Amino acid sequence: MADGELLIRNGVVYDPINGVKGEQKDICIRDGKIVESVTNPKVIDAEGRVVMPGGVDIHSHIAGGKVNAGRIMRPEDGRKGLEPKTSVCRVQSGYSIPNTFATGYRYAKMGYTFVMEAAMPPLAARHTHEELVDIPILDNAAMPLIDNNWMTLEYIKSGDTDLLAAYVAWIIKATKGYGVKIVNPGGTEAWAWGKNCNLHDSVPYFDVTPAEIVKGLAEATEKYEMPHSVHVHGNMLGHPGNFEMTTDTYDLVKGIKPYRDRPAMHATHTQFHSYGGTSWGDFESQAKHIANYVNDSDHVSIDIGSIILGDTTTMTADGPMEYSLYQITGRKWTNLDVELETGSGITPFLYSGKSPVNTIQWAIGQELALLTKDPWKVALTTDHPNAGPFIGYPIIISMLMSKKRRDESAEDMHKVIFDRADLPSIDREYDLNEIAIITRGMTAKTLGLAEHGKGHLGVGADADIAIYDMSPEERDAGKIQKAFLNTKYTIKAGEIVVKDGEVVATPPGRTIFVTPECDDKLMDEMLVTLKDKFDKYYSVTFNNYPVQDAYLPNPYEIKAPWRS
Amino acid sequence: MQTITLKLKDAVRSGIATVPVEVDSLTPDQLFGKSEAELKAVKVWWGNREEDTGDLFDVSVEGDAASADEVKIVMEGDLTRVKRIGSGMKAGEIEARGDVDMHCGALMEGGRIVVKGNANCWAGREMRGGELIIEGDAGDNLCAMYRGEMKGMTGGKVTVGGDVGECICQYMTGGEILIKGNANRLAGLNMSGGKITIEGDAELFGPDMTGGEILMKGKVLEMMPSFKFLETATVDGAEYKKYLGDFAMGEKKAKGTLYVK
Amino acid sequence: MVEITDVVCSLCGCVCDDIVLEVENNEVVKVKRGACSVGKSKLLGHERIKSPMIRENGELKECSYDEAIKKAAEILYKSRRPLLYGWSSTVCEADSAGIELAEDIGGVVDNTATVCHGPSVLAIQDVGIPSCTLGEVKNRADLIIYWGANPAQAHANHMKRYSYVSKGYWTAEGKKGKKLVVVDVRKTMTSKMADVFIQVEQGKDYQVFSALRAILRGHEDVVPDKVGGVSKEQLLEVANMVKEAKFGITFFGMGVTHTGARHNNIVNAIQFTRAGHLYGKWSIMPMRGHFNVTGFNQVCTWQTGFPFSVDLSRGYAWYNPGETSSTDLLYREDCDSALIIASDPGAHFPGAALRHLAKIPVIQIDPFANPTTEFADVVIPAAISGIECEGGVYRMDNIPIRLRKILETDYYVPDAEIVERIHAEVRALREKEGE
Repeated sequence: MADGELLIRNGVVYDPINGVKGEQKDICIRDGKIVESVTNPKVIDAEGRVVMPGGVDIHSHIAGGKVNAGRIMRPEDGRKGLEPKTSVCRVQSGYSIPNTFATGYRYAKMGYTFVMEAAMPPLAARHTHEELVDIPILDNAAMPLIDNNWMTLEYIKSGDTDLLAAYVAWIIKATKGYGVKIVNPGGTEAWAWGKNCNLHDSVPYFDVTPAEIVKGLAEATEKYEMPHSVHVHGNMLGHPGNFEMTTDTYDLVKGIKPYRDRPAMHATHTQFHSYGGTSWGDFESQAKHIANYVNDSDHVSIDIGSIILGDTTTMTADGPMEYSLYQITGRKWTNLDVELETGSGITPFLYSGKSPVNTIQWAIGQELALLTKDPWKVALTTDHPNAGPFIGYPIIISMLMSKKRRDESAEDMHKVIFDRADLPSIDREYDLNEIAIITRGMTAKTLGLAEHGKGHLGVGADADIAIYDMSPEERDAGKIQKAFLNTKYTIKAGEIVVKDGEVVATPPGRTIFVTPECDDKLMDEMLVTLKDKFDKYYSVTFNNYPVQDAYLPNPYEIKAPWRS
Repeated sequence: MQTITLKLKDAVRSGIATVPVEVDSLTPDQLFGKSEAELKAVKVWWGNREEDTGDLFDVSVEGDAASADEVKIVMEGDLTRVKRIGSGMKAGEIEARGDVDMHCGALMEGGRIVVKGNANCWAGREMRGGELIIEGDAGDNLCAMYRGEMKGMTGGKVTVGGDVGECICQYMTGGEILIKGNANRLAGLNMSGGKITIEGDAELFGPDMTGGEILMKGKVLEMMPSFKFLETATVDGAEYKKYLGDFAMGEKKAKGTLYVK
Repeated sequence: MVEITDVVCSLCGCVCDDIVLEVENNEVVKVKRGACSVGKSKLLGHERIKSPMIRENGELKECSYDEAIKKAAEILYKSRRPLLYGWSSTVCEADSAGIELAEDIGGVVDNTATVCHGPSVLAIQDVGIPSCTLGEVKNRADLIIYWGANPAQAHANHMKRYSYVSKGYWTAEGKKGKKLVVVDVRKTMTSKMADVFIQVEQGKDYQVFSALRAILRGHEDVVPDKVGGVSKEQLLEVANMVKEAKFGITFFGMGVTHTGARHNNIVNAIQFTRAGHLYGKWSIMPMRGHFNVTGFNQVCTWQTGFPFSVDLSRGYAWYNPGETSSTDLLYREDCDSALIIASDPGAHFPGAALRHLAKIPVIQIDPFANPTTEFADVVIPAAISGIECEGGVYRMDNIPIRLRKILETDYYVPDAEIVERIHAEVRALREKEGE
């Protein structure tokens, strides 16, 4: 946190959480926070430039075992982003899987100051945290995977939602995690035997269905005052014809009353779940079906997982999905199944505008953003690096803001886009206020971080600010893209970290974690079962499992009491 | 025509260690149009420090060039620790008078390199075009890919007068290479296009091949166990056994061709 | 006397974490449970380097930590091509400090993987690696292959804790119900336990993998009667076992990483695993040696983008084992100084590499004297990771575990702190020169 005062003068401010839609305003900063007024500040003249809160990424894979396994597997990706050390910055490498330092610098250059690591295998949580510590500048958090854990499966089977809630509390605390992440519920356990699950299939040996897992975990999550809902990557990601299963999954939380004003489910990288057709041959967009559902309901929010054309590295705890992708491409494939908990797969992938399937996928992500009427229900993501690297966000922003650019791009792509996708017929263009919503306002609110100072510029908020070198009137898509790639200034906790597109300071970020507070008696009852698992089946001991405090040098705790 | 002669100073080789010099900044296309003084000031890496070319090499220039195509660089002195000669070059000619270190002609796009001696590993790595002639032996990974890449040499022409090391032309997709001597194991590994001709002896060539052609004129020391004999065929007037593979990759991908005596 | 449980062993890549010790008067007096005999002997302690030392006129003379650290910094600061090698028998915190130092001085940073499972990493870069944690093997595996590995001697707890002999959820009866295949060039203690032992000719593993792949992919017709000394009949037998297994795993060791086609053996072993996946669930895992050899590769990758043999001399990370790997640098006499930490090239490097090491200034950081000490010019004793200081390590299956501190030391300094102090001295030298 920087000492002293800063005044950002005359910027055109977009602060959607506080209802500020492009007003010329001054922003005052003291000791890392937004304040009412300052007395003797350093002044930044932002006249005519766009000012927004620091970006808040709701879903990205930036740290941990599978990200690093991707880096190890792909020195050819590493060499794509080589940059020498400077007096301020450490060495940088990588394009789709940048090293930790580059991850911090490149996000900060785009004006982002918080990123959620979207999948932390509990047994390897220490690894995720070690990498988060080495990502400069960004505040961060990580969501442990809880849905294929044997403890979860057994409590779902027995119907003990309270005991499940106790386990959820324990695992989030043990991993210093943020919330409940679900990835191919049941399917990843089935993958340990080389199999997979549809929503209503029985998970081999456990006799529960993915649908029951999602519902049970959503109920267990809402037992607490959790900042964020269950964060769901559903079954059959990336399979043609999965769109109905997607909305069937959304239906599961319809009756669940969420703590606070957010939906009971966040459905992530929805692009991969909006597929029509019966095979890759008759593959088509069903974004409209998904967007209509979201428009008509208040129990689900989405992020788009939009495609960036080019080469990337796909990685997910959805092991069977990565295996089928590798079977299509024949390229490298890494798989890392984690005992009693989860798995993961990694394979490189090239999204080509010449491929009919990739073209439709490319359209779907943008369709989801454009067809979802209320931007407070949708977030901008690329499921980095799955649909493309985060460094491509400015491309998507420029697409959403410019019908002209979308039309020009469509001309260069496979003509199937005109028959089996809706994008060419959509006229809507996002304005800067809406961009600010899908990149900071909505994400901070949905994650429950707004009251902890993220994603807005109200008095008391963290002084995390992006100043873009563009006029609010700018309509040139190329210039918009350029402005969103490299800020004029990025300010983190009151300190200037990026100036004129160059990183000038690299303070460490904080790790935000949630402590769900569970009744001792319930916890003790759960621990009897859990300790038996450690004695018999885990390969590490119960006492060596939890993440030690040493792994969070800059912690920020959010307590989540049991709901009365 | 312009000839730039660069002779490595003996002092560079006189320390406790033989720290390599990396000369990827010294290609005809990059030196074209520079005065002698400018040329001497071009930076080259020697270990962890950047030095002036003129401090490490005796530099002399003769004649004029109208384009990079007319620039010829002659490298002299002990070049066994001079890396990346002609790396990334696009035009002109380099003549290296002696044995050269790693990555000679790597990422080469055009022009011509003649090595009047042996070339260490990774010569012609990821070569895209141009011509590379190595009069002596070449090391491992000749014309192969960078670690992790799935494309090695994609174009150009290479001739090696002597023997070559392991894994040459790995992931080759195009271009032509002639080996006059023997090839160590795994030549043409993962190859999917282009042509390798080996006049000497070789063993275990073509594993995981999915395309392209290897013509083995010398003795086969050991065949891969996963290729299928197809027929007898005549190539350049001589009779060869034609094999298809590699069936370890499955039938659909087994589209590489071997011709062996 | 105090009993300490959940002690983590800092010996081999198994990183057993259920050890029970008795400690009295700041000394381990008994290893009650959990450790194998080699681990036990490490925990019970042995002769230490007593003081920092600097070589003068051929003799190592005792000195203070400050003097040794200053001398080390001077050597590294002057170097045009310093090598920073070892890093596998220490904690991730030290590795991290070492990579930062290497970056700052433009050095080459490399760990012992370069002479053990480096080829496995190169193979992963060609084809990826389908793998799992050791607990998955314990709970599910019904076919276990050890290829070029002899855990009965080299990783004494491996079969008991994690594989053939262990009991888990679907493997409650231990080795009953499991099959063990051992492939090696000779009979070993492990092969004696095997259901099937395949004796492959030295250096011919590559061909055997290709033949097995062709069979698994339905092309046994192209495979000749004998491959690499193994009969086609035996190849078909193993291929059938692979086809019938529900959960299979191949563990491979140095017997296959450093012979014949070397790293391409592992590429082919992984390709064989991928072919196994057409029938059931298949995984493969290297039997990694030092307790944190995996951890260095992890840290180095997230910090530089590459797992080992990283040359930072030009400011960015250039990774090219074969060129930037320690033994190659030493053979070629390319580096002009070396920092050796938590490893013993003196015992493990080939003679030609050692000849150059003996010629250049060498800094050694280690708790124990070893053959490297004999030619080191600066010797800095370190606290023992996992006994006198804590820190993160990664097990052979990439599971992060934190070593515990068991004993106090009022003298020995942890590796990470030594490296950081050397770095601080380097910065001071640079500032002085800048003045």
